[in-house]
Amino acid sequence: MSRVRNSSKIIVSLKRVIGILGKNNKLKIGSSIFLALLVIGYISPFINRLRLGDKRPDALAVGRRWEQPSIKFPLGTDDYGRDIFGMLLIGTMYSLSIGLLAGAIATLIAVTIGFISGYKGGITDHVLRTFTDTLMVVPLWPIYMVIATYTRKLPLETVAILLGIFSWPGAARVIRAQVLSLRERAFVKLAKLNMLNDLEIVFTELLPNVAPYIVIGFINSAMGAIFAETGLRLIGIGPPLLPTLGYLLSITIGVGMLSVRPYVVAAVVAVLSLIFVSLNLINIGLEEEFNPRLKKVTGL
Amino acid sequence: MKPLQKYLLKRVAAYIVTLYGAVTAVFFLFRLIPGNPIEAFIGQIMATQFTQAELARKLVEQYKAEFGLEGDLFTQYVNYMRQLLRGNFGVSLYGFPRSAQELIFQSLPWTIGLLGLSAVISWFFGVVLGALTAWKRESKVGAVLAGLAVVFSQIPYYIIAVTLVLVFSYMLGWLPATGAYNPSLSPGLNIQFILSVIKYGLLPALSLVLTQAFGWFLSTRYLTISLLGEDFLVYAEAKGIKQSRLFRRYVFRNILLPQTTGLGISLGFMIGGQIVLETIFAYPGMGYLFSRALGMLDYNLISGILILQSFVVLTANLILDLVYPLIDPRVKYHE
Amino acid sequence: MEKGTILEVKNLKVYYKTIAGDAKVVDDVTFSVYHGEIFGIAGESGCGKSTLVEGVYRIVKPPGYIAGGEVLFEGVDLLKLSEEEMRDIRWKKMAYIPQGAMSSLNPVLRVEEQMIDAILDHSNISKEEALEIAKKSLSELGLPEAVLRMYPHELSGGMKQRVIIATAYALRPDLIIADEPVTALDVVSTREVLQTLRELRDKYGATVMLVAHDMAVHAEIDDRLAVMYAGKVIEIGSVTDIFYDPLHPYTKGLIDSIPSIAKKKLIRGIPGIAPSPLNWPSGCRFHPRCPYARDICKAEEPELKEVKPGHLVACHLYGGD
Repeated sequence: MSRVRNSSKIIVSLKRVIGILGKNNKLKIGSSIFLALLVIGYISPFINRLRLGDKRPDALAVGRRWEQPSIKFPLGTDDYGRDIFGMLLIGTMYSLSIGLLAGAIATLIAVTIGFISGYKGGITDHVLRTFTDTLMVVPLWPIYMVIATYTRKLPLETVAILLGIFSWPGAARVIRAQVLSLRERAFVKLAKLNMLNDLEIVFTELLPNVAPYIVIGFINSAMGAIFAETGLRLIGIGPPLLPTLGYLLSITIGVGMLSVRPYVVAAVVAVLSLIFVSLNLINIGLEEEFNPRLKKVTGL
Repeated sequence: MKPLQKYLLKRVAAYIVTLYGAVTAVFFLFRLIPGNPIEAFIGQIMATQFTQAELARKLVEQYKAEFGLEGDLFTQYVNYMRQLLRGNFGVSLYGFPRSAQELIFQSLPWTIGLLGLSAVISWFFGVVLGALTAWKRESKVGAVLAGLAVVFSQIPYYIIAVTLVLVFSYMLGWLPATGAYNPSLSPGLNIQFILSVIKYGLLPALSLVLTQAFGWFLSTRYLTISLLGEDFLVYAEAKGIKQSRLFRRYVFRNILLPQTTGLGISLGFMIGGQIVLETIFAYPGMGYLFSRALGMLDYNLISGILILQSFVVLTANLILDLVYPLIDPRVKYHE
Repeated sequence: MEKGTILEVKNLKVYYKTIAGDAKVVDDVTFSVYHGEIFGIAGESGCGKSTLVEGVYRIVKPPGYIAGGEVLFEGVDLLKLSEEEMRDIRWKKMAYIPQGAMSSLNPVLRVEEQMIDAILDHSNISKEEALEIAKKSLSELGLPEAVLRMYPHELSGGMKQRVIIATAYALRPDLIIADEPVTALDVVSTREVLQTLRELRDKYGATVMLVAHDMAVHAEIDDRLAVMYAGKVIEIGSVTDIFYDPLHPYTKGLIDSIPSIAKKKLIRGIPGIAPSPLNWPSGCRFHPRCPYARDICKAEEPELKEVKPGHLVACHLYGGD
């Protein structure tokens, strides 16, 4: 009988969440932009097929070299004849994928460790906490760079996994703190009296309350992964030929478009900025909803 | 033993242990990566330095001896540690025949200068403006800045850097896009050189300051606003204290604590040399050195920088931990 | 203006703006406080006591606002003063001890700084003299000089409360307003604090306005008190009047609810729940819970009338009609 009540509780809180989300300006703007980017990114292969037929935009000599912008090639081509606009489209998909995948992995690890640490307490908590804190302090990006440099061919999934592994400590800490404070609350003790076992308590009582932090952590990890991958590709570190936005930025700048066709670079910069701004808006919107005092802080 | 001494002992012990762990981790990192970096490194020295073949051979012999590369893993480890304690990272490939530590310490001032200055400037403007505009509740400037901050604080600094270079170097031609100073000048304490350094450092610094300052602004603003509802502020107002004193001692003093700790932590991380930033601008700091080293697979330089970076971050954290109880009266030295 | 009146509140209204309209938390309150007495304000939580004194001291925070009335302090209407003039009166002539004094001290400043900054900002006294004043104030309240150099978190609740009282009295203001000064304290600290307030009146001739929901506190040290219900004052009288001859049914209910060690008595509560300031009941606001309610109670609001010398009540049971 209590199981039925618990699942309906989750549904109720989900409904409440969706209701809240509709009101916040930042959330609306942020999620619309991000959703638009996602959609464009993931239907880009189809768009490109319409435009280019069977050829991939980053294949050599899709068009002539240094083509001027035209209807067929809205952003022209580079010195290898690659279609910039097409690469912009699929680049969005690749970069977003890395972000989402890394975010998912980081969140998975963070939630597992955060929950175990916060819920079990005692020695387990102490050990896990020290482990997490140490990882937070030691900068892990250089290690990623080293690994990426010495192992040349990394597929997208591996890159995402690596980046995800490097960004979980921050979120884990936050989750642990939340779990810790919730654990002592009356409703958890009540659930224990109702003879729910630990796993049930975690899923039905704790998870809904920790959910906002999990989502915020996910977004932060995703942003961090895209930030890292793009930045490092810009200076040439990362698996070659993975056609992310970072890659596109590096080849356009490298070939000298900054001086010759600045609008091309501007386009890539614009898309990247949109990704970060939209994710940030979602983040801040979420934080405001769960901590209404913050609402007065920003103008929007 | 007094609690203070106990705490100090524990904390310093933890520091040493972590430092030791980090250094050992670097040692094993390179031996676990496929492709045997060390052999490749030695091979490269021999292969590329054919103009100084004799010197190369001598230095390679010396290197092998110092780091016990002929022996087993344990010998290598012991020698590695021994050399570390002497501050010897080994000979570098990038700046052959100079040692890795020489190159690193030569690049440090540029990194510290650029990043340290940007960090401090961003922090200062961000925190002061953030607190002031939040204190004056009706401030329109504050709302506008906050809106801008939401956008700019999370856009990666390298994107801003690219945009700045686009506008100021390529379109307007006002500022140079690479380098730390005019290459025709030789370094020295003269006005020309100093001005050149400033000119070349403007764009890199600006890229950092724009993102970081807005970040500090936002966090300070959040802090101040959450402070405004506190009981002790209401009471202080009830006492009829002057507004200026209210702001200085009651509001600012309270936000200063977390923000200075934040500054300390971010400074510790900066030693990573903002690799991407320096490389974009070819700014000769430690980050640029690191990316060049990666490009050449300069094993000693790479590991040397990794070790130095871990050392600085861990030490910065130690200092912060030890100093914090001195500034926050609520925190005592305890576990 | 009667002789010896230090504070006269006339028709004071303090409302809170909400999306559902104005919450009339303090709705037309009138009373007087005489020199050198301890005047209590009693009532349930939520009846508007704290908001009343916030209005008098003019520290009502948005969304609250003062909607009307006069507050005559030594003849001057405080509500008509500018912020600067108000700041001038604060602490020198009139001091305020807020509810929750525990959290009213700035955690990052030493006690001495928090005690003297008000002194420094209100006069030309030098820092050394101000410290002397602070030391004296502390010793008058039985606190050692060492407290000055401490930080708030090093003090107990009772000590913090006494520091706040000492700070309030440092400039010897004529009127001290204390909002729930002993609510969060243990019995021993409560006794010390109440004793201190009594001494302020006896030794230094201060006037104290004491807000508390605990009737026992009022019984202990008040000279006179006013009972509030639903944003209005429904009875005013001396402490003997109120406790031995309560007139208003609500007051009677409050007194009946105090447990007694001496007498064996049945403790009664007051049935019903406190009404909401967004929707006060019509007529006499107590009528839904009053055992003596008549038709007129629902229709007409009773006025505050002097039924015996110095004893006023707002109830249709009295005042001949």
